Amino acid sequence: MLPFAAETGQVHLTSQTRIVAAVLALFFMLMILELIRRDRLQERYSVIWFVAGLGMLAGAAFPGLLEVVANLMGVRNTNVALFSIVLLLLLGLALNFSVIMSRQAAQITRLAQERAIEKALAEKRAGANGNGASGEKRLESEKERLEG
Amino acid sequence: MRTLVFIPAWNEEAALGGVIADVRKAIPEADLLVVDDGSTDATAERAREAGALVASLPFNQGLGAALQTGYLYALRNGYEACAHLDADGQHPAEEVARLLAEVTADRADLVIGSRYHAGAVAATGDYRPTFSRRIGTSVFRFFLTLATRQRFTDTTSGMRAANRRVMSLFSRHYSPDFAEIESLQLAVRQGLRVEELPVRMLERAGGSSFLTPLRSAFFIFKGLVVLLVGQFRPRHVETE
Repeated sequence: MLPFAAETGQVHLTSQTRIVAAVLALFFMLMILELIRRDRLQERYSVIWFVAGLGMLAGAAFPGLLEVVANLMGVRNTNVALFSIVLLLLLGLALNFSVIMSRQAAQITRLAQERAIEKALAEKRAGANGNGASGEKRLESEKERLEG
Repeated sequence: MRTLVFIPAWNEEAALGGVIADVRKAIPEADLLVVDDGSTDATAERAREAGALVASLPFNQGLGAALQTGYLYALRNGYEACAHLDADGQHPAEEVARLLAEVTADRADLVIGSRYHAGAVAATGDYRPTFSRRIGTSVFRFFLTLATRQRFTDTTSGMRAANRRVMSLFSRHYSPDFAEIESLQLAVRQGLRVEELPVRMLERAGGSSFLTPLRSAFFIFKGLVVLLVGQFRPRHVETE
């Protein structure tokens, strides 16, 4: 207990650490902005990161906040509270990505199926119009047109 | 009655030609579609040479996605019945014809060809499953029967016939990972009439099964998770 006695009471941050934390948080949010600006990140996936950035900023500006949260959680050690919160947030994010990934996998599969069916039907039509040989030729020319 | 027979095929250039010829002979009235699941060999060419229409998925998507492509094609193009069989030559086409007869006679919505059904085992000694396959089979048999309260003997059979109600359901919901078992559970839960028919199956023409003991264990575990989750899926009343 003793080594933590000082920490359990209240959060002590020197103004230097607070400035570093605030600068890091701002830098983080600027990075998100830049990623959106360059179309590397879509807006709808960026909201959660901005919230994270704001959280970091709030923590740096008002160290007392963490203490309040720790008390609400019934945790005496603010470090434990901080790490628990971050861990839970990351878990939530990872799950969120799995959900997004699953949805996109389903979309890709359906896209592949639609394309396969469309191509098969086109092939069938090409075979049905006139005799098989000209159908083949038409398909070839269509292929060239699409690729060329 | 317009009928489609489709064959999911992934790198099956060796056996596919024979399977198509077999289907053409046994079920001459049906249209034939080969769903080429991103094969890297000459599967699609062999299928065209044998006179089948080919739907090629641009990349390998797994058996479930390939089967769903077939159901989707059948639904979109107004077929009243469809059937599918494996591309490796294990499924004799005349047995598929028997499954289709059940569907066209409207005795069931979905008919599964079972190699373990008492009738099938007694009739022929052709098919001898490996040890790990036997374990997997009995585990799935037990749990699927428990989940659906309907007796199933061959849960992983890839020889099936179906009507439009099933096409409609499977073209919307078909697990890409664990197609065979989950689809049975889903169909029963949706109130469809699912029936097993004893069929004769052959030893695979070429290649070996992908199941090693470790893979089998993982396969079984995954299957049980899928079945458990499936029990909590919502039921929908099918309208078509």
